[in-house]
Amino acid sequence: MIDIIFIMLSFLAIAGGVGMILFAQPVHSALSLIVCIVALSGIYALLSASFMFMVQIILYAGAIIALLLFIIMFLNVKDEALPDEPNKNTTIFFGAILLIPFNFLILKAFYTLPIKQMDILDSDFGGIKLFGHELFRKWLVPFELISILLLCALIGAVVYARKDKKNG
Amino acid sequence: MANMLISYITLAMILFSIGFLGVISRKNIFIVYMSIELMLNAVNLIFISLGRYYESMTPQVISMLIIAIAAAEAAVFLSMIVVLYRKRKTLNADKFTILSQKDAL
Amino acid sequence: MTSFLVALIVLLPLLSAIFLGLLYLYCIKIKKVPNWLFDTFGLSAPFLSFLITLYFLPKMIDDSEKVFFYTAYKWLSIYGYDINMGFMLDRLSLFMAMFITFVGWLIHIYASGYMRSDSGYGKFFFYFNLFLASMLLLVLADSPLIMFIGWEGVGVCSYFLISYYYKDAQNVKAGNKAFIVNRVGDFGFVVALITLFYYAGANGFDYKNLAIGVQGLPIEVLTFIGMSLFIGAIGKSAQIPLHVWLPDAMAGPTPVSALIHAATMVTAGVYMVVRFSFLYDLIPSVGVFISYIGAFSALFAALIATKQTDIKKILAYSTMSQLGYMFMAVGLGSYSVGIFHVFTHAFFKALLFMGAGAIIVALNHEQNIFKMGGLKKRLPLVCFTMLIATLAISGIPPFAGFFSKDEILLSAFANQKYVIWLLGLITAFFTSYYMFRLFFIVFFAKNCKYFTKLQTLSRSMKIPLIVLAFGSLFSGFIGIPKVLGGSNFIGNFLNDWNLHVGGVSHTLELGLMGLNILIALVGIAVAYKKFFQYDLTLNPELKGVIWHKFYVDEIYERIFIRGIKKLSIFFTINIDKNIIDRLVMSSSLGFIKMGWVVSKMQSAVTRYYAIFMMIGVSIISIYLLIVLGYIL
Repeated sequence: MIDIIFIMLSFLAIAGGVGMILFAQPVHSALSLIVCIVALSGIYALLSASFMFMVQIILYAGAIIALLLFIIMFLNVKDEALPDEPNKNTTIFFGAILLIPFNFLILKAFYTLPIKQMDILDSDFGGIKLFGHELFRKWLVPFELISILLLCALIGAVVYARKDKKNG
Repeated sequence: MANMLISYITLAMILFSIGFLGVISRKNIFIVYMSIELMLNAVNLIFISLGRYYESMTPQVISMLIIAIAAAEAAVFLSMIVVLYRKRKTLNADKFTILSQKDAL
Repeated sequence: MTSFLVALIVLLPLLSAIFLGLLYLYCIKIKKVPNWLFDTFGLSAPFLSFLITLYFLPKMIDDSEKVFFYTAYKWLSIYGYDINMGFMLDRLSLFMAMFITFVGWLIHIYASGYMRSDSGYGKFFFYFNLFLASMLLLVLADSPLIMFIGWEGVGVCSYFLISYYYKDAQNVKAGNKAFIVNRVGDFGFVVALITLFYYAGANGFDYKNLAIGVQGLPIEVLTFIGMSLFIGAIGKSAQIPLHVWLPDAMAGPTPVSALIHAATMVTAGVYMVVRFSFLYDLIPSVGVFISYIGAFSALFAALIATKQTDIKKILAYSTMSQLGYMFMAVGLGSYSVGIFHVFTHAFFKALLFMGAGAIIVALNHEQNIFKMGGLKKRLPLVCFTMLIATLAISGIPPFAGFFSKDEILLSAFANQKYVIWLLGLITAFFTSYYMFRLFFIVFFAKNCKYFTKLQTLSRSMKIPLIVLAFGSLFSGFIGIPKVLGGSNFIGNFLNDWNLHVGGVSHTLELGLMGLNILIALVGIAVAYKKFFQYDLTLNPELKGVIWHKFYVDEIYERIFIRGIKKLSIFFTINIDKNIIDRLVMSSSLGFIKMGWVVSKMQSAVTRYYAIFMMIGVSIISIYLLIVLGYIL
């Protein structure tokens, strides 16, 4: 049962990814990306990471991609003004061939790990309580630093998006 | 199949490769950005599957922090695209080739 | 010390040439040098060489076996096999060197007057002395290899001197033609040298050792060597079929024609055959072939000369014809007779050319005999000296040519080669005919309207004419045959080089002599009837096969030259330009393209950076996979 779900979700994820890089219009690509991200969050759920499942949907699909879609539509680029990409498929094909050794290497590395059953756990593993324990004990400093980072990003985005003034 | 680490890793690697192919083959700057996000997501998947494998919460926390960084990056990236589009009127990533800061904007 | 004088004969003109060359460079780069400075060196060198030959003469007269050898230095040494720069002075080479230096000296004097106003005066004498040095090297060499150095040297100097008026492209083409046709002959010579070395050169490569080495070789090898050597002689001495360069060589200044193409270079072929007499004695069939070629060339040239209008070209064909006579003689083994004719020919031919040069200069470079006429009263000295020379070449006694030509025809008759004898006789008729045609038209024709004012001739041009006139008159006397009461001095002097001929009775000899004189007189009579008091208002007819020199040049052009030109163009365009140049250029362009490709790595397009990173990661992962043993 879980196998079937896994296969369906991975299929959706891959399809979304492929669609994202193949579509010409950015809006279509963004929508494909949403499909992929939601499928990924489902896979997180299969991995007993329930909190990540929720975070992924709220943050990633809900905020980041929404912002992206907003900017895409804000710029309102016409179809003719989109850059033309004549060699897209050729590059993808050859790039795929070139990436095979790298993937092969990584997979070979992971094959050395002993096989273990990864069923869905019954315990609280992946829940928000254990997550908080982990985050606010061992990863407090990075947490704070991330908040500073977000502040900087905020300021930066505002600075960029201002209208040009002579002496800012 | 879902019980094995290697299938999750395989899926993650495939998504990572797809994202990387998007970066190198597309000229539209939005698609490039989305491909970067896809790569980040694939890495997240690896982290979380390893977390399940070792039954440790640490990778999940790291994953969360990665998502936070992706959000910050989205803000900066997209505002930069807006500025560039205003100036250059093009979305072609190949055209953004001026390396000196003075002449870029 | 005495032996060193032998080398000095060659060395003096050579040093003088080098010095004159440097002086000429000084003259054109730094400051002008007066002509007399070139004269002192250029004229003294041949004269001193002549004095040295005179010094050796009494030593040689007494002792017939005396040979002087001098080895200057060891040129090549290959595993003990030495080839030396050696000189050999025996009776033959002494005789040749004597008249070469003497006639050469006279022509140098003549040239100092002829080329007086030319700006390249020093250059001319440089070439002239260099030529003399090469010719003397050819004659005084003790090895065929050294002779070949002189052989090539005279060819090169001939090329320089023919193309002397280089500003006119026709002259340069004539020089090229001379050199290239000569080269064809030289190829035969080199092949002969190689074969000779291979078969007969076991003990050494000088004449003495080669004479020993050729004994006992199979007749085919000897025939091959003999024929190849003769091909070289054909090229150098302008016999059929390599004669085409000689008329064109008249484009050079007249002293050049006098020295090179009358007296010296063209006789190198005859000398070579005589030098190799040890070889040609063993292959009489090749000798007969040589005689036939000589006879046919003689007749061929004489026929063409009857219709030519350029005074120098007539003399050029006359040279070719007389050379044919010389080959007739040496082919049949009568080497001393051939050399005797070389000797007398040098005198009267040089005189003829110098006289022609005097006429040309006096008439402001007019060379068409039908534009001259009635010069007897205006150039009396030239007329008189040229009369002597013309009588000499026609074979009228007691002038020089009579004795030598008579000996040649006699040797043909005595060897029972009647066809050759007949050809020689017919040629003698034509010889006197065309020579007196020239003489009568130039000096006695009426109604010449083409010029009124003559340039004056300098003394330096007149005196050699007089000296050579004496030579043409008296030089025959060294070979008076026994039948007329003489001692055949020259035949005895050069006795080592004479195949003994079966005797001919005295009455027959006298009868043949009379026949020769008769034929010559008939030729003179026919020319007199046709051309004495020739009215120049008549246009000479200038057409016909003979006028076109039997179309030999055209035939060569069609057969050889066009094909070779096409081949050269093919090689130049297709192979050299398209293939080789493209190959070289494409390799350099390939580097530029490689650089261009590599420079793409530094383009600011970020996408490319990502691609290169991917390629790098790929390569590293493949490497890791191989190292870790997962693949391969």
